[in-house]
Amino acid sequence: MQQEYRSKYYSHVVRIILILIAVVGVGVAVRAMVLPKTFGEFGHYRGQAIQEEMNRPIRNGTNNSCLACHPHIRQMHLEGIHKTVSCEFCHGPFADHVKDGRVIAKLPKKKGEEIKYLCMRCHNQIIRARSKEAIKMISMPQHLEQKHVRIDHNCNQCHNVHAPLMWINEAKAIVGAGEDSK
Amino acid sequence: MMDSIQKEMSRDRRAFIKKVLSGSIAGSLLLVIPAGAMDLAGIPEQLPGMRDETGAFISKKRKFTFIVDITLCIGCGSCCVADKNEYQVPDGMYRTWVERYVIDDEDDVYVDCPNGGLDGYQKPRTDIPHPVRDTFFVPKLCNMCEHPSCVQVCPVGATFQTEDGFVLIDAEHCVACGYCVQACPYSVRFINPQTKTADKCSWCYHRVRKGLLPACVNVCPTGARKFGDLNDKESEVYKILHQPHVVSVLKPGMGNKPSLHYVGLRREVV
Repeated sequence: MQQEYRSKYYSHVVRIILILIAVVGVGVAVRAMVLPKTFGEFGHYRGQAIQEEMNRPIRNGTNNSCLACHPHIRQMHLEGIHKTVSCEFCHGPFADHVKDGRVIAKLPKKKGEEIKYLCMRCHNQIIRARSKEAIKMISMPQHLEQKHVRIDHNCNQCHNVHAPLMWINEAKAIVGAGEDSK
Repeated sequence: MMDSIQKEMSRDRRAFIKKVLSGSIAGSLLLVIPAGAMDLAGIPEQLPGMRDETGAFISKKRKFTFIVDITLCIGCGSCCVADKNEYQVPDGMYRTWVERYVIDDEDDVYVDCPNGGLDGYQKPRTDIPHPVRDTFFVPKLCNMCEHPSCVQVCPVGATFQTEDGFVLIDAEHCVACGYCVQACPYSVRFINPQTKTADKCSWCYHRVRKGLLPACVNVCPTGARKFGDLNDKESEVYKILHQPHVVSVLKPGMGNKPSLHYVGLRREVV
C-alpha cells in the first residue's frame, strides 16, 4: 500500500534544491558586494572607521605648541595667573596659523572692545555663578570707579592680558605697597 | 697599471651609486613621514605613552574617563570655542555646550543656553520674577555610555562602540536616518548639515590616540573638565571616583551607564 505514495520522479526536488542554492549564492554575492570592506572586522561596524576617526586632523594645539615659538610671551604667560588660559581661546586655532612647521597665516589680534568682551566672559561678577575659589570677579564699571580711572578705559590699559597682575605689581613695587587700598 | 685605474673607477662608481641610493632613500623617508606626525613633533605628550600604542584599540591597561566638576565651571565657553575650532562644527550645532541654571527664591529653575554657550555668558537673566538664590553652569557632552542606546538602534552599523569604550560614528557609512539622534537620552547627537551624517562629541578620539587631551579639557582654565586613565591610581580622575566626593551621572535611571561623571551635580540637573 505504502509503495504507491512514493513517486518515481525526483526532478521537482532537484529543481527546488538548485533554486535554493542559486538564491543562497546570489545572497552571498550581493552581501559581499554591498558590505563595506572591513565590516565585521571587530564587530557590527566597519573596522576601518576607527582608523579614519584617528586620522582626523588635529586643529587645536596646546599652549606648549604656541609658546615654543613665542619665547617672550612664554615667559610672561607662564609666570602670570593666566597661565591656565588657553592661547587659542583668544587667538584662534593653531592649524590656522601653522601647517607642516611653516607659518601659513597670521592669527587676528584682538583689540579694544574685543579684549574687554573676552575678559568679561570669565570675570563678570553680575553673572553670580562663578566660585570665588576658581576665579577673581569684578563688576563693571564699579571696578573702574573704585580704581579712579576713566570709565572708558579698556582692561588691557592696566592689565597685561597674558599676566594680568604684572604691571600692577611692578607699579606697586615702585610706588610702594598700600596703593591697593586706595 | 690600467687594471688598477679601472678598479679605482669601478669602486668610485660603486661608492657613487651607494651615496645616491642612500640619499634618495633618506629623502623619500622624509616625504613618507605623514604631515600629522610632523605637526605633533613640537607638542609634548599630555597622555603619557599613547604615541607608542599602535594597535587597533587603546590597550586594555587603560580606561579613559571624563569628569566634569560643575563647582569649578565659570561658563567662559573656552571649551565650546575649542570644540568648534577643532571640528569646524556648523553654526547652530553643538558637540558640547554649557547650560546655565538659575534657581530663584521660590525654587523655580530656569535653564538657558544662548548659542550653546559659545559666546560666553555676559549678561544676567532679567526675566526672573523672584530674587535669584543660586546660579551655576553645567557643561554637556557625549556621555560615552557603557550600554549606548544610539548603537543599539543604528540600522546600518554606522555608530559603534570600540573595545576601548568610545562610541564613534562612521561618517562614510551613516545614512542620516536620525534614529540615534532620537535614541540618545542626553541629546548629544545631531545631523550635521555639511557632512549629511549624524555627528556628536567623540571625546576627541583622534587627539587621545595621539597622546593629547581632548580639545575642551586642554583649554579649560579652571580645570572643570578632567580627562584621564581610571586604571592609573595616581590620576586625578581615579582619586575623584575612588574617594568621597559628590559624584553622579546624568539620568542614571535610563540604564545606559554613562561613563561621563559630574562632580557636584545638583538634583535640578539630573
